[in-house]
Amino acid sequence: MKVVQGIDVSDMTRFNPDQRAPLWWGILGLIAIESAVVLTFCVSYLYLAAYAEAWPPSGESAPPMLWPSINLGLLMLSSLTMFLAGQAINRGNQRGLAIGVTASVLLASAVLVLRSLELMAYEFSWKDHAYGSIVWTISGFHYVHVTSIVFGSAVVAILAWRGYFTQQRQIGVVVDTNYWYFVCFAWIPFYLLLYWGPRVYGQ
Amino acid sequence: MSLSKHIRTTGPLGAAAPFLAACEGPQSALDPAGSAAALIARLWWPTLFVAILVTLLVLALLTVAVFRAHRRHAALPLNARQSRNLVIAGGIILPLAATIPFALSSFSIGRTINAPLPDDAMTVEVVGKQWWWEVHYLDEAGNRIATTANEIHIPAGEPVRFLLKSDNVIHSFWVPNLQGKTDMMPGRTNVTSVTADEPGVYRGQCAEYCGTQHALMAFLLVAEEPERFDAWLEGQRQPATMPETQAQARGHDEFFEAGCAGCHTIRGTSASGDLGPDLTHIASRRTLAGATVPNRIGHLGGWITDPQHVKPGSRMPPSELTPEELKTLLGYLESLE
Amino acid sequence: MTLEKPANPRDVTDSPEETAWLERTWHSPGGLLGWFTHVNQRMIGKRFIITAFIFFLLAGILGILIRLQLAGPEQQLLGPELYNQFFTMHGTVMMFFFAIPVMEGFAIYFVPLMIGTRDMAFPRLNAFGYYVYLIGGIVLFGSLLLSMAPNAGWFNYVPLSSKLYSPGYGVDIWTTMITFIEVSALTAAVELIVTTLRMRAPGMSLNRMPLFVWAALVMSFMIVFAMPAVIVSSTLLILDRLVETQFFIVEGGGEPLLWQHLFWYFGHPEVYIILVPALGMISTIIITFTRRPIYGYTALVLSVVAIGFVSFGLWVHHMFTTGLPQLGMSFFTAASATIAIPSGVQIFCWIASLWGAKIRFATPMLWVLGFFAIFVIGGLTGVMVASIPFDTQVHDTFFLVAHFHYVLIGGAVFPLIGATYYWWPKITGRMMSEAAGKWSFWLAFIGFNVTFFPMHQLGLEGMPRRIYTYVEEMGWGDLNLLATIGSLVLATGFGVTLINAIWSVFRGQRAEPNPWGAPTLEWAADSPPASYNFRHIPVVHSRWPLWDWERDRERAVVTGLRNDRREVVLTSILDAKPVGVQVLPAPTIWPFVSAVAASLGFIGIIFHPIFFAIAFFLVAFTLVAWFWPRRPWRND
Ligand code: HEA
Ligand code: HEA
Ligand code: HEC
Ligand code: CUA
Ligand SMILES: [Cu+2]
Repeated sequence: MKVVQGIDVSDMTRFNPDQRAPLWWGILGLIAIESAVVLTFCVSYLYLAAYAEAWPPSGESAPPMLWPSINLGLLMLSSLTMFLAGQAINRGNQRGLAIGVTASVLLASAVLVLRSLELMAYEFSWKDHAYGSIVWTISGFHYVHVTSIVFGSAVVAILAWRGYFTQQRQIGVVVDTNYWYFVCFAWIPFYLLLYWGPRVYGQ
Repeated sequence: MSLSKHIRTTGPLGAAAPFLAACEGPQSALDPAGSAAALIARLWWPTLFVAILVTLLVLALLTVAVFRAHRRHAALPLNARQSRNLVIAGGIILPLAATIPFALSSFSIGRTINAPLPDDAMTVEVVGKQWWWEVHYLDEAGNRIATTANEIHIPAGEPVRFLLKSDNVIHSFWVPNLQGKTDMMPGRTNVTSVTADEPGVYRGQCAEYCGTQHALMAFLLVAEEPERFDAWLEGQRQPATMPETQAQARGHDEFFEAGCAGCHTIRGTSASGDLGPDLTHIASRRTLAGATVPNRIGHLGGWITDPQHVKPGSRMPPSELTPEELKTLLGYLESLE
Repeated sequence: MTLEKPANPRDVTDSPEETAWLERTWHSPGGLLGWFTHVNQRMIGKRFIITAFIFFLLAGILGILIRLQLAGPEQQLLGPELYNQFFTMHGTVMMFFFAIPVMEGFAIYFVPLMIGTRDMAFPRLNAFGYYVYLIGGIVLFGSLLLSMAPNAGWFNYVPLSSKLYSPGYGVDIWTTMITFIEVSALTAAVELIVTTLRMRAPGMSLNRMPLFVWAALVMSFMIVFAMPAVIVSSTLLILDRLVETQFFIVEGGGEPLLWQHLFWYFGHPEVYIILVPALGMISTIIITFTRRPIYGYTALVLSVVAIGFVSFGLWVHHMFTTGLPQLGMSFFTAASATIAIPSGVQIFCWIASLWGAKIRFATPMLWVLGFFAIFVIGGLTGVMVASIPFDTQVHDTFFLVAHFHYVLIGGAVFPLIGATYYWWPKITGRMMSEAAGKWSFWLAFIGFNVTFFPMHQLGLEGMPRRIYTYVEEMGWGDLNLLATIGSLVLATGFGVTLINAIWSVFRGQRAEPNPWGAPTLEWAADSPPASYNFRHIPVVHSRWPLWDWERDRERAVVTGLRNDRREVVLTSILDAKPVGVQVLPAPTIWPFVSAVAASLGFIGIIFHPIFFAIAFFLVAFTLVAWFWPRRPWRND
């Protein structure tokens, strides 16, 4: 059989810093899976609430609002710095990237510290009742995720300071940023459910 | 073992005969003796008929399709229009034509079965245990007036309301000849109703896997003429008969000495354990240990000395009794009519 | 839209030297240590398939032991404890460690070949997924040998599976190992989706994709959206058991029914996750053995997609007896009946395709024909149990056992064995014996029906499932004996195929690249394929590229990929126009190390929660090592 040239790809880019890259889709897949997990947690929360006699159980009150709201602000701010970091490397500004990512990591670390203090002050434990269980579990789930983006982005920051990323070689930054957004935005439904939910529907 | 003596068997048990021949058995959904089971069985036969037709149709078409061009030189395909029509007829119209009537009749049967009972219907509360059934009879106000186990009596011809509960794992209450199953969910009370058209003894079995002895968690449902039922219930309300003979009195003491009273209640005595079945009228029951063995003295003795042999995993421990002790104990239990 | 043939094609000639380079680049290192570094999709796919079939054998043997115990009333072979462990393990292993992984395995092996590329999008992740699966399966089966196997049934209902009613490690192991299989399935799913959407050969627009690739794609999407529910439910259960949360404990305000909703929200799609790839295999085999294009390509694709969607709206039909409100449940009756339509469309498209064709009755085709008879019966009993009143009689009885073995074995295992015969020459380079294949089929077909058909009647006669014994008076003895005899015939049938397979690896006739005259790209590779799959990435102009080439005596290929590193073409999602070149990673030990680290953590938490933190950081560090860029940068 005769074999003829159909398409020549020698001149095509090997970098693919955007939607062309498989990794971009891989992270999207991960985000889709985790979004389904987030949704399932929310549904479980609502299911337990719907069948409970009182929510939160009598004698218990929903946790205070202040710190979670501040955390929300910090997470949104860290998304902004992450966004700016991405913009910087799009222009080839390696220093801007490094500063942006580092700022995000610091902001999210602050969130971890505040969350830890806040959780330690909770008056109920996960062992007390289903309400406690689901609040703690959702909190823990999100806490672990913030920890993992802090860890992952710290590695990105190190590479950024060392000048590994360039305008072209930046898919690592792109996927890290996307996942960062996901973790920060996943806080919104949890925040509404855990802190506003009982207040709006209340007792 | 001959449980069958107590259980209604309407005919010879079928061997490898196909569906139609042998649908009877001591616990068969296709041998209905109550209104709900009858409705469901009536849904089943036409459904089976249509299913056989559909299967034969598909297989016939397949056979034609596959062998049409066999031994010929050229293929004999359908043209595009014929193919399209075949797919529309078989793949869309056929399932719709078959499932719409089926779904509608199943809705309407469901509604009939679940129609609310008259308020004055008798109410029985059944609690699923690992691995036996606790049965309470309730009066109009919902108070427990009698307690028994593993054998439920109801008046024939009347609908009876069953409140189904569990304080442990999930079980499922099911008497195939009378009624489809309903689960006993911890934390909830499910309600079902049972009507037995004729007097008879029907077997029920736990249908939700509930641990080690799920297999031997059965019970008998005895439907009786209303008068007989009333007499029975009156008997069950009474406390246990007091020992009349010396031997029975010794048996009564033995019941406490052997530790039975820690788990079993005998109303009228100080035995008030609640881990095991109420034994107030144990001698009036047909079977033992979740309809596992008939209630004969030999089986009773075997059960008490070694329940783990009869029903491995059961929550009743074996007892070390001398033959003499056992004999007096049995004598006492036999007197608890 | 689609690619036109180039106006002025140049001949492509290969020097042996270039081929040797390519071979060296894609080569998988030898040796024992090398084995743990392999990442090529064919290596991983083959391992998935072999491992899954070993689990099939083990779980099948448990099935036979179950049958022997039930052969007569009051048998003493297995006690209640052992029986309960056996059916739990049989169901769990068959569903989670055989059926899903084997389908993934075939997809991992064949999707890249069928879409004309050289590997999958994330080769290392692929390897990671395999090791997690392997470790999970070994631990689970190991628990049986240590007789601390789970025993709460394959859907593990709470509160039976709570610490109070199932003390010991069995259920902990179940829950943890299910997590393993979720991770492995999810990695495979993401992998398959990205590979299929971005790495198809130029010109293979979505509507030219082989039907098996479509099926694998739908399966992957279903995994992505179904598995999270069981991730959450098993997490909640493990928390209940290990740190005393109260999710399913009534006394603490928990809800046992939440488990059932979450489990079946996953569990129902799961059975179609198993079925859908099998449907793809059937289409593939029918095309090849009728030697003509299939009728209703679009209808087949749409109905598989429809099955995927609708299957997320059926879960409550497993809960008809739990006492939920009737009206709400009726919706699920209707939805369940609806699924008969896409299933019917498939069946009749195939009949239309078979109609009057000059069919070659080779072994793969026989298994497909056997599928029809069995699956239609199983599907119809499925529609029956979708009726609430009828289901209250047959739910949790042997009628249901009959239903799901009809659809699982008839619907999935038969096509799977057919596909194994079909693709065997591609994987091993040898043909399996046709004569033995036919014996195997007939034994299995007859044995299957003798085993499972009588169970319908047993169920109607009131025999509940999951009982280790029954008293003689129930009258269930004869049909059970018949079923047991049937199961031995069935096992013999599968056994013939097992022997056939082993024999053929050594003695089988050597296979051509395309022994069946099939039209899809995997048959353009050598049998077995070279390490780089294709010497040149092909360019595709229709659904049946190999038939085109045969007719045109000419084929177009992609040129310009480098030979000294692992390059593949990226194409656009809809019409597969080339958009870039991706450099894939080479073999490495890190996925294996990560999998071991993750396993240590997951198994550790059974004993102490601190292992969660340990595993978290261990895995994090191995991931950094895995992804750490090394010079020369991969894409420079
Ligand atoms: C591959 C696996 C598979 C497949 C394909 C199916 C297919 C179907 N299943 Fe099944 N099912 C299981 C595996 C599967 N099932 C398992 C494992 C369980 C039990 C789990 C457990 O409890 O352990 C189960 C349990 C189960 C239940 C729960 C019963 C109970 O617990 O009491 C129900 C209820 O509705 C159901 C329904 C259906 C329906 C409607 C289909 C439909 O998809 C069938 C559609 C197909 C056809 C209808 C045939 C082809 C069509 C035609 C020839 C056209 C003509 C059609 C008509 C005229 C109707 N299944
Ligand atoms: C893909 C899924 C799948 C498959 C293929 C099978 C295959 C078989 N199953 Fe399966 N079964 C389930 C999924 C499956 N099952 C599930 C999900 C349950 C529910 C569990 C639960 O309730 O929790 C169940 C429950 C179940 C029960 C009910 C138990 C009970 O409720 O008490 C029974 C009883 O007969 C049974 C029997 C068999 C048999 C005989 C086979 C045979 O087809 C097996 C034949 C295969 C082999 C034997 C291996 C290959 C053979 C060889 C290589 C030859 C050499 C071997 C020998 C000669 C022994 N199964
Ligand atoms: C630790 C608790 C315990 C002790 C002690 C105990 N039993 Fe039991 N008994 C049970 C349980 C639980 C059952 C139900 C077993 C089953 O059916 O699975 C039972 C069942 C029975 C039954 C059958 C009741 C029926 O209706 O089916 C009898 C009779 C009986 N016990 C008698 C005795 C006697 C006599 C003793 C003392 C020698 C005794 N039990 C000691 C727990 C106990
Ligand atoms: Cu109680 Cu099964
Ligand atoms: Cu289902």
